[in-house]
Amino acid sequence: MKKFLFIASILVLGTLLFGAQTLTVLMPIGGGYTIQSQEVIAKSFEQAHPGVKVNMEFVGWANLWNKIITSFGANAAPDVMYIASRWIPALASMGALAPLENYITVQKEHMYYPSVWSSLIYKGHYWGVPRAMSTKVFVYNKKIFKENGITKVPTNWNELLEDAKKIYNPKKGIYGILMAGKKFVSTVTQFEQYLCANGGEIVDPNTGKVEIDSPQAVKALSFYKELSKYAQPGITNWTREDLIKLFEAGKGGMYIDHVHNAIKAMKAGIDVGFFPIPGGPDSNAPYSTVVVVDCMAVSSQAKNKELAWEFINYMSTLKEQTRWDTLQGFVPPMIKEAQESEFQKWYWKPYIQALKYGHPQAAGIKDWVSTANAILNAIQSVLLNQSTPQAALEKAAKTISVLQSQ
Amino acid sequence: MKAKKSTPYIFLLPLLMAFGLFLFYPLTKVVMDSFYKFNFLNPSHKVWVGGFNYKWLFTFRLYSPTYSYFVGALLKTVIWVGGSVAIKVLLGLGGALLLNSEFLKWKKVYRTLLIIPWSIPWAMSAMIWYWTLNGQFGIINSLLLHLHIIEEPVSFLAYPVSAFISTFIVDAWIGLPFMVIMLLSGLQTIPKHLYEAATIDGAGDFVKFTKITLPMIKPVLLTVSLLSIVWTFNSFAPIWILTRGGPVTSTTTLPIAIYNTSFRYLMFGGVGKASAMTIFQVLLVTSLSLFYIRTLKGEKS
Repeated sequence: MKKFLFIASILVLGTLLFGAQTLTVLMPIGGGYTIQSQEVIAKSFEQAHPGVKVNMEFVGWANLWNKIITSFGANAAPDVMYIASRWIPALASMGALAPLENYITVQKEHMYYPSVWSSLIYKGHYWGVPRAMSTKVFVYNKKIFKENGITKVPTNWNELLEDAKKIYNPKKGIYGILMAGKKFVSTVTQFEQYLCANGGEIVDPNTGKVEIDSPQAVKALSFYKELSKYAQPGITNWTREDLIKLFEAGKGGMYIDHVHNAIKAMKAGIDVGFFPIPGGPDSNAPYSTVVVVDCMAVSSQAKNKELAWEFINYMSTLKEQTRWDTLQGFVPPMIKEAQESEFQKWYWKPYIQALKYGHPQAAGIKDWVSTANAILNAIQSVLLNQSTPQAALEKAAKTISVLQSQ
Repeated sequence: MKAKKSTPYIFLLPLLMAFGLFLFYPLTKVVMDSFYKFNFLNPSHKVWVGGFNYKWLFTFRLYSPTYSYFVGALLKTVIWVGGSVAIKVLLGLGGALLLNSEFLKWKKVYRTLLIIPWSIPWAMSAMIWYWTLNGQFGIINSLLLHLHIIEEPVSFLAYPVSAFISTFIVDAWIGLPFMVIMLLSGLQTIPKHLYEAATIDGAGDFVKFTKITLPMIKPVLLTVSLLSIVWTFNSFAPIWILTRGGPVTSTTTLPIAIYNTSFRYLMFGGVGKASAMTIFQVLLVTSLSLFYIRTLKGEKS
């Protein structure tokens, strides 16, 4: 009996000491992401996988990139991490990610809209599983539109500019349009909306050739500058994330944003309407939107890649993905998810319909962060009258060409 | 009882160990890293590049065509540090004189209030200022509009010159309490009889200040100025939170440039180049410190 008890205790102790597996997961907070909403997944995964401990690490979205870089430098990278798909080329080419094509089944792949995967494939490998997808449309204040005699929403750039002019009343603190111009990534994504709407792109996704100084791009930046005359003053210190505060305060006629912020404005008492981003003069498409995809990736430093994959797989079941998207306010990346009752609500429709005119963000860009900085310098120098759109974008193109040739 | 020869060294050992661990090792590592090309994503893949990273400091012009990225940042840093330290010293001295004045009541309350900016985490202070300086919701604009000093709100952080000035004012606001408290302690060591003698001799307030106060607190003033210069040189959080180095590159000082080179511009930059920038900064700040220390020694003699 004593011998049996001794062996049993050794086994229990051994399981406790060596059997427990720890999984580190890095997730963003801020914006629509809350800690509570994400910890629920970790807890339910632990319940479904006895002996596994999930350590959820949270960092503000603005610091997510830096956190990933420093954790790799310290040889303590998380096993699973939430990343923007635009970072994939840089992270994958520097050996930070584990390829996932051997884990992603055909059945899994077919759960999503096919276009969602395009930004997650780099050099023939799959580097992530879609987690959050977003499209953007114009959110407008119906009351302000009505007060200024605007009876129909703009359908082209001329009408957009005219409506912004009509609304602009700085003495009353009401601005025609709210715009971003701060040195922050969302300024680039806001400008990209106009760039893509005019048929332009940063880089040709097929050839890698830099296109940021194309006539379409120059026209887009010129229009951005023209619109900024009717925007809130000092836009070079406004991020898109801060614009909601102005919109909620009834200070802006319209601006481009996510659905979750539109819902926030409704809760603040604003009578909100939506219209798609109109195509520019050089574009054949009537409307446009940039589709941003964030994903879950496995770090190359992950000791137990199978377990890391299992966690991602668990997070991305139809049930979990639906829960996540409805909670955070993201456009559903899964085909069946779009049929859920939540996404049938009137305010979701413009965002889901915008997918029809979607452009993938950052396709073919090798080093997004450095590229974005070059574009930010161009946008800010134009907004501050330091440079013409043509000269600023030519300078950015020169910088991005060097990056693309690395 | 005679102490062993080794005894002092045993007592010194913890200090030497701490010195080696926290100063010598990181500094040596930074020097070594400055001769390699690599980044944090793949730290084991190091390529020896000799002095290339140092050459890069003066040749990389893509983000800043007038000067190289490094030289542009260095020049801005010198002006930025000068502005911030000047405010800290001038207002610090003024504040200390006020708190040392016999006529001021509620001194303890003011001293307690003074500590607040220093006790708040820097990032939080910068965030408070971010919204305080905001063109639409900021309290400064609200006050100025209310007093009819301005007709339209001013976006302090949106334009190159005003953003540059605003960031170093915020940095000065954070560092001011330390300056006031240190200078106040210096003022309190001045014997009162010196002022009494000067009064008998018919000296006015200005003469007393220039002939007694300033010479007596000069060592403290120089020491705290030196500390302030070193700390301000490394100031990162206020700028990063307020402007992220923008608009364009107007507030990209050396700490911001080093951070970008190290963590953000992986293809252009990397740890090696950031290390080379750091070595330059260390050499510059150390030279400045040595110059100050020599000046201080001269004062004492």
